[in-house]
Amino acid sequence: MSDSSSPTLAATQSQRPPFYRDAVVVKWLTQVAALLLVLGALFFLTTRAGQELEAKNISTGYGFLDVDPGIALSEGIDIDPDTGGRALWVGMVNTIRLAIAGIMAATALGVIVGVGRLSGNWIVSKLSSLFIEMVRNVPLLVQIFLIFAVIAALPRATEDQGPIPGWLHLSNKGLSVPRVFPGDGFYQWLVFLGIGAVAGRYAARRRRRVQDLTGREAYPVLWFLAVTAAFGLAGWWLHPVFGWLGPVLAAVGDAVGAVPPTAVRVALSLGALAAAGWWIKRFVDSHRTPAGLAKLTDDDYFRMIFAGTGGLLVVVVVFAVWPGLGSWVVNSGRDLFEVLSDKFGDGRTGPPIDGKRPDIQKLGNFPNYGPAGLNFTQGMAAVYFGVVLYTAAFIAEIVRGGILAVPRGQTEAAQAVGLRRTTMLRRVVLPQAFRIILPPLGNQYLNLTKNTSLAIAVGYSDLAQVGQTLFSQTGKSIEIFSIWMLFYLACSLSISAVVNFFNVRLRLVER
Amino acid sequence: MAADPHFGLERHDPEGFGLTAAVESAPPDEPSLPVGEWLRKNLFSSPFNTVLTVVFTVVALAGLRGLLNFVFSEERNWDAVRVNLRLLFTQAYPEDQYIRVWVSVGIVVALAGLSLGLWARLSGVPVARLAMWLMTAGGLIALGVVLREPSAMSGPDGGPLLDAAGEVIRQSFGAAMADRIWWWLAAAVLFGAGAGLWRGFEDERRRHTYVPTIPLVFGSLGLAVAALWLYRWGHFAFTGGEFVYEPGRTVATSTKLPWTVMWLLLMAGWAAGRLGRGRPAESRLKVLVNLTWLLSPFILFWVVLRDPAIDWGHVWSTDLPMAVGFAVGGGAVLYGLTRPGIGEAGRVIAVGLLAFAGFNWVAAFAGWYPMLQKARFGFLLLALAALLAPNFTGERAQRLRLVWGWAGVTVVFHYLVTMANTASTLNTPTSEFLGGFSVTLFVAVFTLIFSFPMGVLLALGRTSKLPIFRVLSTAYIEAMRGIPLITVLFFFANMLNLFLPQNMELGSVAAVTVGFSLFAAAYLAENVRGGLQAVGRSQYEASDAVGLTTVQRTVFIVLPQGLRVSIPPLVGQVIATFKETSLLAVIGIFDFLFLANRAIPSQSEFLGVKREGLLFVSVVYWIFAFSMSKYSQRLERRLGVGER
Repeated sequence: MSDSSSPTLAATQSQRPPFYRDAVVVKWLTQVAALLLVLGALFFLTTRAGQELEAKNISTGYGFLDVDPGIALSEGIDIDPDTGGRALWVGMVNTIRLAIAGIMAATALGVIVGVGRLSGNWIVSKLSSLFIEMVRNVPLLVQIFLIFAVIAALPRATEDQGPIPGWLHLSNKGLSVPRVFPGDGFYQWLVFLGIGAVAGRYAARRRRRVQDLTGREAYPVLWFLAVTAAFGLAGWWLHPVFGWLGPVLAAVGDAVGAVPPTAVRVALSLGALAAAGWWIKRFVDSHRTPAGLAKLTDDDYFRMIFAGTGGLLVVVVVFAVWPGLGSWVVNSGRDLFEVLSDKFGDGRTGPPIDGKRPDIQKLGNFPNYGPAGLNFTQGMAAVYFGVVLYTAAFIAEIVRGGILAVPRGQTEAAQAVGLRRTTMLRRVVLPQAFRIILPPLGNQYLNLTKNTSLAIAVGYSDLAQVGQTLFSQTGKSIEIFSIWMLFYLACSLSISAVVNFFNVRLRLVER
Repeated sequence: MAADPHFGLERHDPEGFGLTAAVESAPPDEPSLPVGEWLRKNLFSSPFNTVLTVVFTVVALAGLRGLLNFVFSEERNWDAVRVNLRLLFTQAYPEDQYIRVWVSVGIVVALAGLSLGLWARLSGVPVARLAMWLMTAGGLIALGVVLREPSAMSGPDGGPLLDAAGEVIRQSFGAAMADRIWWWLAAAVLFGAGAGLWRGFEDERRRHTYVPTIPLVFGSLGLAVAALWLYRWGHFAFTGGEFVYEPGRTVATSTKLPWTVMWLLLMAGWAAGRLGRGRPAESRLKVLVNLTWLLSPFILFWVVLRDPAIDWGHVWSTDLPMAVGFAVGGGAVLYGLTRPGIGEAGRVIAVGLLAFAGFNWVAAFAGWYPMLQKARFGFLLLALAALLAPNFTGERAQRLRLVWGWAGVTVVFHYLVTMANTASTLNTPTSEFLGGFSVTLFVAVFTLIFSFPMGVLLALGRTSKLPIFRVLSTAYIEAMRGIPLITVLFFFANMLNLFLPQNMELGSVAAVTVGFSLFAAAYLAENVRGGLQAVGRSQYEASDAVGLTTVQRTVFIVLPQGLRVSIPPLVGQVIATFKETSLLAVIGIFDFLFLANRAIPSQSEFLGVKREGLLFVSVVYWIFAFSMSKYSQRLERRLGVGER
């Protein structure tokens, strides 16, 4: 390229390329084409499915949620649900129950095994490794089936049989242990505890200030616990004091029920539009520099359009797609307060927490566990122990990795300033390890929750199993799949939210 | 290391077993302690530690005893596994066609040997560790012999002898120990060999002399194969209501010859690979072996195992001409389009092709003119390749490479479509011709093959700067990762055929494989994304500076580096996928787990015999998953991903 023939720089810049060579145009054309392709494919698929379903005479829609499904569930808060929706709700409660109990047990076991693997004691560390390698490399479903088969081979249930009759029963029916449950005045007592926590927090702050000023240990955490416990203890007997909350909550519920649905719809739409507008304003503000508004890229415009469209979409949904939303919100709000008001007053004077031991009832000739204790039926025990052991093995590896990832210099420095071993672990190693452990730990919690769906294989009535039964009754696969998806996505999102909350709080403030 | 007087001859590696890797991954070099000192340091260093040691020793011994008593109990019916071995692995594959299974295994084994010979840089095992293994094995056997409860006296009917209360009468302890003389002997031989090895070397040499892995592994496999000839293992069949020793048709008799051949094939493949190493053709040979690996599942599944009824008339009149036409015609188009300086004309042609390809689908939807489905796909593929072609202009050799790649893809694609449309001639009682472990394996392999490209594309989409691509990929990935696999499989097993075009039906295994691939792709994408994000910013800036296009940068700069980083998590994904195939049992597909959990316990001879089969299944799964995870750990160390 010689100087004489080449155009000047300014001339090159002023020449715009033809539109089909313009990077922005090409970029957006490709993207819109891809979007159209995806939408087209979805359209084609749903059209096909519609034709096929029509040909097979299967109606679509969520009507089955309000109709008697004619199924009985193996266990749960309502084993003979009168609507399809109620059946699914029972399944959801069972899933959540399994997931929460599983997460707690798996965390405890995982931490113990993970720390055990790092132990200086040879046999402890080898046994921990053995446990991890055994459990991790066998599919979860195989383990669940194995536990199921082992329980099935246990002896039959009788009154005096069990490792500890009256406390722990083990038989081919499953496992039964004493149960602790919220008693009569539980919610009134919760109010006491809440007030105690606020007071404890205040006390802890004061103690921390004292500690900062004097430099002497003032035990803020201990103070917090002590104050909360004191309130809890007083509330154990004093909780009927809050009985008056019942009528108040009932009145609130009536007030909520009197709100016209249209007002809710308008409020929801306005809220969505305001949120979108606020987001766009904040976005523009963040691009404002002292020199003026920075140049916005296509990407930025897209984001703003996206946010605005989202807000508009909510309005469309509220007013056109789902007109019943307003009254649904009003009714649910009223029901919620009604349920809450039921928990207060009206001679609720019993202890807030109650317990019962398992007992075995004779039903005909067939001994069965009674409703008193906490019963792990065969299916539930198989899923629960399977999921807990399996997840614990993964958590143990995460814990071990997290502790090992704390730089050696940290422990050495702690030793150098003369911290005792326990203080060093508590103040130096564990806080740093926890920061590394938390995100993958959250992932394992998600996995555990999703893995409880394997209950489908052993007949425990969790959401997946109830959904499958409903499907075989009604043939509504797309609807049931959508409910599965929404529920499990909601679970995932809430676990992520909790983990993220702690993650943000624990994050190192980097300079 | 230079101070080590024994460094030198022992680490010299005339056979090329790759001792350099051993040096890298060797643990810190500490002399072994005398037994007493070792015990004090590791088990009894403090009172608390002593308590821990005692408690957990009791726990471990009780656990071992329980396991042994369970496995060797008179109540166990291990014949349920032994008699059903063939069922568990290949279900009801026709007896007279069984040679096809062996040919498939043979191909895989020979390829594995070849790859080992070509690539493997396996570290040796230090003599100290080998001696430890042998002594531990011998010690554990001796411990088990003592711990296991005495076996039951056998009664007149062959069953265990019962006393008046219905309890099993057991041998006296002494008699039981005397009866287990062979076990004692095995323990003594193993322990003696280990101790001999340990004693035979002084400490330094013990830790620095390496026994090469390949002969060790091949030798052990050889021993296992020889055991088939020497021991009457599994020489039982169930005929006429009882177990009989049957020389003609039983598991071991029918497998000892084939497994010997397999072993020889493995050795031969390895030898061939070793010969090829260091030759000028080595790199070409490696490419060839890799391609064969990639194609082997398709060939084994559709040709070798299925015995397709190929309609040769149709092949000659339609399939072959079409494949050749696409390969040659498309190759010519691509060769033309990659001519340097073709400029706008190339893009116009590519867009025209794309429009034509898209129009074919519209016409199909509206029913304007008939066209074979594979032709529509062929045109679409060609249009996409043409769109990308301007990124691969260059010298003649490079352009020809693109043409060859295109021809290869076309031929494979047409071959696959033809084969998939050809019916199987196998006479099987079930609709699927595979079952048991083979179906588990094939679903896992095909899932990985299909989900890999999809996962890479999704990862690229999620890391892309283009918002619509990013939103679409993110939504897909998060939605798939948020729901349990079993619900996805359930949906696809029941619903996929509703969504497919008319006249297109997929069997349940195929439908589930599709769902499984879509699911696995989301997880794979996240693994790949981690790798892509590890590619430094400077790499992007440098490729922009030398004027690469986005496609060139992605294909030549970002992907090679990103994928390399994500290899260890990808192996983890392979293990997860392999384990998750067990969920097929819930959908009602006759996979490995289903046979053990449902099919065998419902056979009239083995009613309710479940735990034995399940234990066997878990052991098989464990062996595969454990070896893969060990391999991934080794890979991680060798790639040193963590250290960079």
